[in-house]
Amino acid sequence: MISRAFLFIVVAVYTAFAAGPFLWVATMSLRTTSEISLDHYAWPETLHWEKFPQAWFNSNYSVYFENSLLVVISAVIVLTLVGAMAAHCFARYRFRINRLLYFVIFSAIIFPPQITIIALFQTLVQYGLYNSLIGLTLVYIAVQLPLTVYILESFFARIPADLFDAARIDGYPEWHIFWKVSLPIALPAIATTVILNTILLWNEFLYAVVLITDEAKRTLPLGIQRFMGDQLEDVGMIATGLMIAIIPVVIIYIFFSEKLIQGMTAGAVK
Amino acid sequence: MATVVLKELTKRYANSDLLAVDAVSLDVKHGEFMVLLGPSGCGKSTTLRMIAGLESISAGDLLIDGKRVNAVPSKDRDIAMVFQSYALYPHMSVFDNLAFGLRRRDIAKNEIDRRVTSVAATLGLSELLKRKPHALSGGQRQRVALGRAIVRDPKVFLFDEPLSNLDAALRVGMRGELIKLHHRLGATMIYVTHDQVEAMTMGDRICIMNGGKVVQLGSPLDVYREPADTFVASFLGSPPTNLLSGTFNGSGLTVGTAHLPVARKGEGDKVILGIRPEDIRIDASAPHTCGEVLAVEPLGAETIVRFRLPAVAHDVLVRGPRSVVAKVGESVPLTFDLASAHLFDPVTTRRIA
Amino acid sequence: MARALPLLSAERQPWGAIIAFLLPAFTIYTALTAYPVFRTLWNSFHTVLPRKEEFIGLANYVTLAQDEIFWRSVKNTFIWACASPLAEVSIALLLALALYAKIPGMRFFRIAWFTPVLMSYVVVGIIWVWIYNYDWGAANAILRALGLERFVQAWIGDPKIALPSLIFITTWMWTGFNMVVLLAALHSLPSEVIEAAELDNCGWGAKLWHIIIPLVKPTLLNLLVLSFIGKMKIFDLVWITTKGGPLWSTETVSTYTYKRAFEWTSFDLGYPSTIAAVWFVIVLVAVLTLTWLFRQRDRLEY
Repeated sequence: MISRAFLFIVVAVYTAFAAGPFLWVATMSLRTTSEISLDHYAWPETLHWEKFPQAWFNSNYSVYFENSLLVVISAVIVLTLVGAMAAHCFARYRFRINRLLYFVIFSAIIFPPQITIIALFQTLVQYGLYNSLIGLTLVYIAVQLPLTVYILESFFARIPADLFDAARIDGYPEWHIFWKVSLPIALPAIATTVILNTILLWNEFLYAVVLITDEAKRTLPLGIQRFMGDQLEDVGMIATGLMIAIIPVVIIYIFFSEKLIQGMTAGAVK
Repeated sequence: MATVVLKELTKRYANSDLLAVDAVSLDVKHGEFMVLLGPSGCGKSTTLRMIAGLESISAGDLLIDGKRVNAVPSKDRDIAMVFQSYALYPHMSVFDNLAFGLRRRDIAKNEIDRRVTSVAATLGLSELLKRKPHALSGGQRQRVALGRAIVRDPKVFLFDEPLSNLDAALRVGMRGELIKLHHRLGATMIYVTHDQVEAMTMGDRICIMNGGKVVQLGSPLDVYREPADTFVASFLGSPPTNLLSGTFNGSGLTVGTAHLPVARKGEGDKVILGIRPEDIRIDASAPHTCGEVLAVEPLGAETIVRFRLPAVAHDVLVRGPRSVVAKVGESVPLTFDLASAHLFDPVTTRRIA
Repeated sequence: MARALPLLSAERQPWGAIIAFLLPAFTIYTALTAYPVFRTLWNSFHTVLPRKEEFIGLANYVTLAQDEIFWRSVKNTFIWACASPLAEVSIALLLALALYAKIPGMRFFRIAWFTPVLMSYVVVGIIWVWIYNYDWGAANAILRALGLERFVQAWIGDPKIALPSLIFITTWMWTGFNMVVLLAALHSLPSEVIEAAELDNCGWGAKLWHIIIPLVKPTLLNLLVLSFIGKMKIFDLVWITTKGGPLWSTETVSTYTYKRAFEWTSFDLGYPSTIAAVWFVIVLVAVLTLTWLFRQRDRLEY
């Protein structure tokens, strides 16, 4: 029987391994690059909080952040609504091509992005949506739709049929049933998909890098990457930039860690 | 076959002062079928699990065959347990489920085969040996769980409410099977249940528990006829014992407006009269009182009538033969068979007479 | 889990409502997922230049069959998609078992280990570029501090170890995720079955081998497949750290497709579409094969 103490040590070491890098970035974000070059791993002596406004204003982080915010929020709102409608329909109505249509959407989860991205590029250019936040938002909605429908469908399917029958007997029209019965009950699952999609889209890089080249339209991941390319040696500023990108995610995580973990791992436990 | 002795067995959980099991003492004889009976949360399952070694013992001694086994791990106690949820290994076939314990004990392969096939035959499982648990019905799974215990040939069998997940008809059938099994094997069995019918029909002795303590220990009929307190009186028997408050005065016991010739016992004037529904008769010859009929439940073989007695708070239930005819609202004369009645102290709830 | 579908009289379905509910999703899906798939396939049979499209039949496919870089990238991606899941899941299993034995502070550890998964690959990439820095990166710094100077490497600068170094990063990222899933799976095991095993003379090792692992096998396989799919798609991490170098040692199909489409001397989108089409088929076949291989023959109901 392996002793408790040994297991604890293993666990502690792994925790340092998993969380260490972030801690390191956090400390570096508060030190100047010259301080860092002297000793990369020291604890900050003075906390250079001014680096954050610096990165924000001088290095265009405010622009990137706002773009990301706009795109992600709009995409998630539309995505959740559209996805919930489809999921509700798949789960609650019986018609012959139900499973076929569901499979068509669901199977897109496996598609490697390459199969759509080149044509998406062509299409967006064709319709003048290249280098536009609207174009990117639309693509993001399409990208996350399969996963959203998948998660919500299994949840909607678990709602007892009695509730719907009762609503129908009371004479409610179908849309009303969706809005007043399905959605409120599925709120936990919806919250989960909202949080999940927000984080996935906040961090999304590939589609953004293909569809956006205009500096003013860059999202945060693009901004960071460009930053990295521009100022390869300004480790301090890059670290601060990284923190700006990480902090919203951390905040969501602090408040919703259980939900988030549940949501991301839901499909995996069999 | 073995004896099991519990001496002041106690279980205290880590973060509470509450004693789940409070100084329970019990001695189970060789080959006895002992039932631990009680409502949910009374500590009977915990006690059983302590005997099995699945829960640690906070205080007290557990002896199996005279040997103190508090610190002995479950697998070395030579006991077998049938769980409420059967706990079959879902990924193994019926045969492997039965054979698993034996294989883990280094028993020769042909011996294992022999035992498994013979036990399977006894329990009617021979055709199901290749199936996995999910392909079995509830009753079949239960028999596999039973078989797994039997095949081990242990000193003591432990049962944790094994019949509660079965439907009513199956339950009655399995009860009979278990009784026959006990006679055939002659093994020591400790059986936990909350169902008093199971307890009465199967047990050699019943140990009634409540709130972590042993309330009464005795044979089914003894416990039924001479309940130790109001709890036992109302727990055993269906419909339950009528418990009526009464006051002693000069000539006897006053219950409501009825005057009963009962000799004064105990201290104080107040007392609780416990009388079973079958000990009250609808009899005009020398009635003790009259009751107003509230409801009549004809059960076919007998009739249960619910009465309201004047100045008595609770409804009184009377068990009558199927010929009883009564209308709601009627006033009917009732006679109490006081020889079978009991008196309980209203404060301690223990039986005085 | 029973599917609770409402019983409407006869087959009178509210078609109006059904169509209304499905229309937005399918419009978006058709326009931005289905159509692009077909268009990419179309492209693969053409030379697609900014102002001209020319049909060339299977020419791209023939070129592709001889494209050494493509096949190298396929090999790299497959190595990644096989090695990383195995590492991630097995380490995760060990850690989950360690936590399962009820170490104090479990909730905290669970949350801490899950963190890498939430970060953008961009962020992770930059951090690890720094960690792998030859002069001052944590990897070499630790080795030097432990007196293991001779193991110091140019982790992502050396073609021989660049790919393993990147695989290490994804393992670092996803082990925590797998661990959390496995922990949930372990906790959902019926405790009475495990107790029965104890009574059947099973010590910790036997319980693990005969009971616990077989019962979490479905989840393990599921995690392997999920991880496999994820690694087949990988782009961000490579793009930030090595961009496919040095010398195509870390070139993945996704980076190669991107380069051919947007960073090549010619503006032809036809050839990268061919790569995408072939890769699409390869991924589909691989995933279907895996799923078939791992299919559960009976439901493990408990």
